Parts: sequence; C-alpha cells; structure tokens
Amino acid sequence: MSTLKMSPKRITFFIPALILILVFVVYPIVATIFLSFNINPIPGVNIVERPPGLENYVKIVSDKRFINPEGIKTLSFPMGAIVHNIIWIAIHLPLTLIIGILFAVFLQYVKGGSIIRSFIFLGMVIPMIVGGLLIQFSFDKDLGVVNLLLRIFGLGFLAKSWTIYPDTALFSLILGSVWLWSGFTVTMYSAGLSSLPREVIEAAIVDGADFKTILFKIIIPMLKPVTLTVVAMTILWDLKIFDIVYASTQGGPGGASTVLALLMYEYFARLGDYAMSATVATILTIIVIPVVILWIRSIMKGEKE
Amino acid sequence: MASAPTTSKIVFLIVGLIIGLIIGYGIGYATIAPQQVTVTTTTTVTSQATVTATATPAEKVKLIVIGPWAGAEMEAFQQVLNKFMEEHPNIEVEYRIYRAEDLASIAPPQFEAGMAPGDVIFSAWGWWVKEMGEKGHLLDLSGLVNTDEFVSGIFDPVKSGDKIYGLPFTAWAKPGFWYRKSFFQAHGLQEPKSWDEFLQLLDKIKGISGIEAPIVTGDSVGWPISDVTEHFIITFGGIDMQLKLIKGELKFNDPQVKEVFEKYLVPLIKEGYFSEPIEWTKAIEEWWNGKYALYFMGTWLTGMVDDPNDLGFFPLPGCKGVVMGTDYIFVPKYTKHPEEAKLLAKWLATEGQRVHVGTHAGKFATWLKVGVEDHWAPMQVVYEKLSKMKPVPDLDDSVGGDWQKLFWDQLKLLWVDPDKLDEVLNTLTENFPKE
Repeated sequence: MSTLKMSPKRITFFIPALILILVFVVYPIVATIFLSFNINPIPGVNIVERPPGLENYVKIVSDKRFINPEGIKTLSFPMGAIVHNIIWIAIHLPLTLIIGILFAVFLQYVKGGSIIRSFIFLGMVIPMIVGGLLIQFSFDKDLGVVNLLLRIFGLGFLAKSWTIYPDTALFSLILGSVWLWSGFTVTMYSAGLSSLPREVIEAAIVDGADFKTILFKIIIPMLKPVTLTVVAMTILWDLKIFDIVYASTQGGPGGASTVLALLMYEYFARLGDYAMSATVATILTIIVIPVVILWIRSIMKGEKE
Repeated sequence: MASAPTTSKIVFLIVGLIIGLIIGYGIGYATIAPQQVTVTTTTTVTSQATVTATATPAEKVKLIVIGPWAGAEMEAFQQVLNKFMEEHPNIEVEYRIYRAEDLASIAPPQFEAGMAPGDVIFSAWGWWVKEMGEKGHLLDLSGLVNTDEFVSGIFDPVKSGDKIYGLPFTAWAKPGFWYRKSFFQAHGLQEPKSWDEFLQLLDKIKGISGIEAPIVTGDSVGWPISDVTEHFIITFGGIDMQLKLIKGELKFNDPQVKEVFEKYLVPLIKEGYFSEPIEWTKAIEEWWNGKYALYFMGTWLTGMVDDPNDLGFFPLPGCKGVVMGTDYIFVPKYTKHPEEAKLLAKWLATEGQRVHVGTHAGKFATWLKVGVEDHWAPMQVVYEKLSKMKPVPDLDDSVGGDWQKLFWDQLKLLWVDPDKLDEVLNTLTENFPKE
C-alpha cells in the first residue's frame, strides 16, 4: 500500500477540518487540563482562584467518593466511583459480548430475525435518561419485570427494589445497561457475520464440524476486528456512563452507585467547582487514552495484515 | 505500508496546533464575559412603606415563571397566575416546571453565561437564593414589599446585609402522620397520646389484613425521609436540638442526637413499621388505597387526595414544634423584563398569596393581610391545630449546599440498612459545613 504524498495542495483540504478539531476538541481538552492544575486557561478570566498546583488531584484521591479504601477492604459498597466504573466494565463487557455474538448468530438462522433484532436495538434508541427511569421501574419490588421473572423462576427471595439498597444498586444499573447496550453489540456482530465468507462455514459443515466448533474455531476468530471495536466502544461507554445513574439512583444510596462522570457533574453543576470537575475529567481521560491507543493500534495492525 | 511521519508533517501539525490554540483563546476571550461583580441598582425605598406597584406595561410582555409544582399543585398555582393575567392583561405568564434540585444544577451555569431559565423563579431553598444573590445573579428586591406585613423572620434566609434577594410566597408545614379518618374509624383506631400508644397503634395497624407496613416511606431525592427524621429529632430532642444541629453547635454523632435515632427511629425501621422508600407520589396513591395507614408528609398533601375532608393528622406525642418553610420568589438579573418581573414577584408575594391559599394547594399565607378565612376549608382545620405548635426551620433546607444532598442520601441508606447508624451519623458530622 503506497502512502499519499502530502503536497501543499492536499494539505489545504485538511485545514478546515483540522481547525475545527483543534478549536472544538483539542483546545477544550488542553484548557480542562490547565484548569485541573488551577491554572486559568484564559488570562483575566478567573474561573478558579486557588493557586496553581496539584491540590485538586490530592483532594480527589483522598475523597471517599472517588475511592473508598474501607469499602474496598470490606468488599462493601460504596467502594468509590473509580472502583464502581471498573466493576461496571468487568460485568457489563463480557455479558454484552456474549449476548451480542450469540444473538447475532442465532438471529441469522431464525425466521423474522431482523424484526427481533430491531426490538433488541430499541435499547439503543431510547434516551439514556429514560433508560435510567426504566431500569428503576424494572427493578421495583412490586412493578418490576425483573422481580416478576425472579419469582417465576423460584428466586423470589431475591425480589426487592434493587436500586434502593447499597449492595444491589450498582448491579441493577449494570444489568439494566446490558439491555440498553446489547443492541449495539448485536448489530455490530450481525454486520460482521454478514460480511463473513459463506464458503468457509459451508466447507466446515461439509467436513463435519458441529455448531460449537464452527462458532469457536471459525466465526469468533474471524470476527476479531469486530470484537476489538465492540470492546473498545463498550469500555468507553462504561467509563463515561452518567445519565442512567443520574436518572435512577443519583449515585446513592450512600454513594453506593456513584460513577466518575456523575462525580464530575456534581463538582461542576452542584458545587460550581469547575477546577475539581476538570480534575475528574482529566483523570477519566487518562484512563481512557490507553484503551483508545490499543484500539487504534489493533485496527492499524489489522489493516497492515 | 505506512511510513513514519516526515519532519514536514510534524512541523505542520505543531503549527496547526498553535494556530488552533490561538483561535480557541480568541474565541474564549471574545465570548466569556470578564469576571466582575456587577451590582444592579434598583430603586430602594428606605422607609418600610409599601412601594406602589409599577404600572402595567403598554406593550404585551411574556414572562416565564419557574416553579417545582406539578400535577394538582401545578393546577392550583395556575389559578394564581390566571388571576394575575386577568388583572394585568398585557403580561402573559407561562409556567415551567423545574424541581429545586434540578434548578440548583441548571441555573448556576446559565447565570454564569448571563442567561436565566425564567424571569420569576421559585425556590424553597433560602440559602441557595441568598448564595445566588451574593454572587450577583439576582435583583435586589428590598423595598418592593413592606417586610413588617409578613411573618416575623421570614426574610432572614434570603437577606444579605440590607439586600433582600427573595420574597416569600405561601408556606407549608410538615405537621405529622396523615391518615384517612375512614380507615381509622373502620378499624377502631385513635390518635395516640403517648409514645407507648403510638407503638401500640403501629402494632395494631400491622396486624390489619392488606396492610403492607403501617407507615409508608416516600422517596424522591430523599427529602421525605429527612422530614420524618427531623420530626423525631424535634419530638425527642426538642426544638433546641434541631436549631443547634442547623447552626453546627451540636454534632450528629453527639450521644444526645444518636440516642434519638437509636432509641426511637431505628427500632421502628428494624421492626418493619416503615415501608421501603417508594416514589412519594406513588406512595400517596398506595396509602390512600389502604396499602399503608400512615404517611408523614407536608400540608400540600391536602390538595393531592380525592377527599381532603377524610384526612386527619397527628404529630408524634409530645412534639412541640412543626417544621415550616416557604417558597421564595426571586428575579434573575438577566431577565429581559425586570420591571414586569418585579411587578409579578410583588403581586405573588402579596395578593397572589390570598389566591393561592384559597386553592387546593394546601398552603398557608406568610403575608399577614391574608386571614384564616381566606384559606381553603381543610387548611383552616390544619391551621387551627398547628397554631398550638412552634414553627421550626427545616434542617437540610437551612444548612443547604452539598451537605443537604449528603443528608438525604445517608438517610436513604439508613432506611434500608439501619445497622449503619454510626457510619451515617459520622459521615454527616465529618462533612458538615465548617462555617
């Protein structure tokens, strides 16, 4: 593959987009980082009046809402927003991957699969704030469909209003978000499956391979690029989750379901402490960067191959 | 195959970055207003005489009023606005709903940007109104009304120096446990006269078929639970305890305070006399339909039930204080119609109260020129009963800030996990505002 020569003529076509990106993406990021160190990004405009330094980072790290060592030690909620986000990824990611691939494969061979797929995709088109309210109702002790199903399957002892208890609030949000995000993974895998060469699978069938072998030895490996994209997008989504939590539990009870984005919002909107909010945003960005870098590297590696 | 970036590409990117930063700086500099505290001068009358109302504008003006009321409460308030529009035909008023907690999040960034979500805004949080006023976002309303014509002390939460940033509207009270008289009659129940009788009442109710729990717990962001808690504090700790907690003179993990929780409130939660927290308007419906017997709620409840004449209430035996508060009216500095907005604010604080207390809003007047006879009949009964009790400020509304949200959140935790009492009280103490 040859590289396009960057002649001045070609460069000029990049300039408008580059300016927009620099002004509306790069500049705000740089300004936010400055603010997190108590440096006013615009001289003369005193957004923060504390002296420049690492004070905000020290404050955040010692804030129990960010990380709660006692909660981590005793394995009881709240454990701190950053830990809650990690738990979110640890549960949400594998579940949505498994549901995504299984449903995508299953719906390929089922009549009316495209209609079922569109129902699954409903979770993606619902505004997340509405999604948060739906989660709250779904886990309600009396009205909730989840508790109804638990009772049907003989697990009635688990039936309660999950969102109001500290030990179940976060899990109810995570399970609800699996439903909301599965539409994306199913769609991605469905698109990936439809682009797979049929001959490979047919040849495997002719050779006597069973469904399990085809799934694990052929389909999943061939869907690796899709999986990488789904993993990266899901982790990013899990790290910036906000609206579901805000609408459903507001991070409670007792901070048991608070997440980084909600903490950032509280500093910004409730306390008006823009510098602290910028600090949380910067920390979130630092966590996100490795994920993005790995993802881009894997895509570029795939293109090389 | 991709090649490493050339030197010219790197230079190009660096130059582009610098250009972008300069452009961004320029946009920020041009659009963000300099940080100056501007004081809006309004006409202030130093005497206490009521200022004559501004004449109705010659041209039609539209004002946006923001309040927290929805449903039946909104219908009641709309009657007030309709009356205003009748008397001021050139002013159209549109009502929009924002909960107090949402307004507290949305309004400050808008104010910083020199905008306001409405022209006349209501908030029950006097501390927040005062804070916004001190930051220079609100008009000074001193001189607009005669403060001597209002309930004593009602302006204190919204006053800063000689400036008044809010005008009081109608007041509410949180008087005790509401019940349906028909339910009590049907089951031979009576209002308790002592703590032991209260416990016996709860036991008896618990044994009634169809009852899920004797007392329903309302939920929202947490204020219904904090209301119940304050009632216990006032009853068993006294009005003094409430006032000292507000001022920070008494800590939440003080043994006296802990005793109120440990001896009275937490045992009731552990015994299952309180339900799980349920969304507070849904709780009204379920309580009214007999799933629960008692509901601790504010006087606005009278306007939210089918038959207010079937309502009765009792405070905890021995309680001498009742939490009362008011909604404050304020006018953002960024309104496009300051004179009309002040006219509306003044009217709402005075004659508007007379209209409001006559509706099914379940409120009392704070303007002393409104008599008991102007109040809606069921509220007259409530008024008589409450006149024997001393008004007390709401604890979390008085402290305000981030601590208020923490207070609500911690009490929600206590309700579902009463064994965490020590942790809750310590958290509230450690995070109490220092000043």
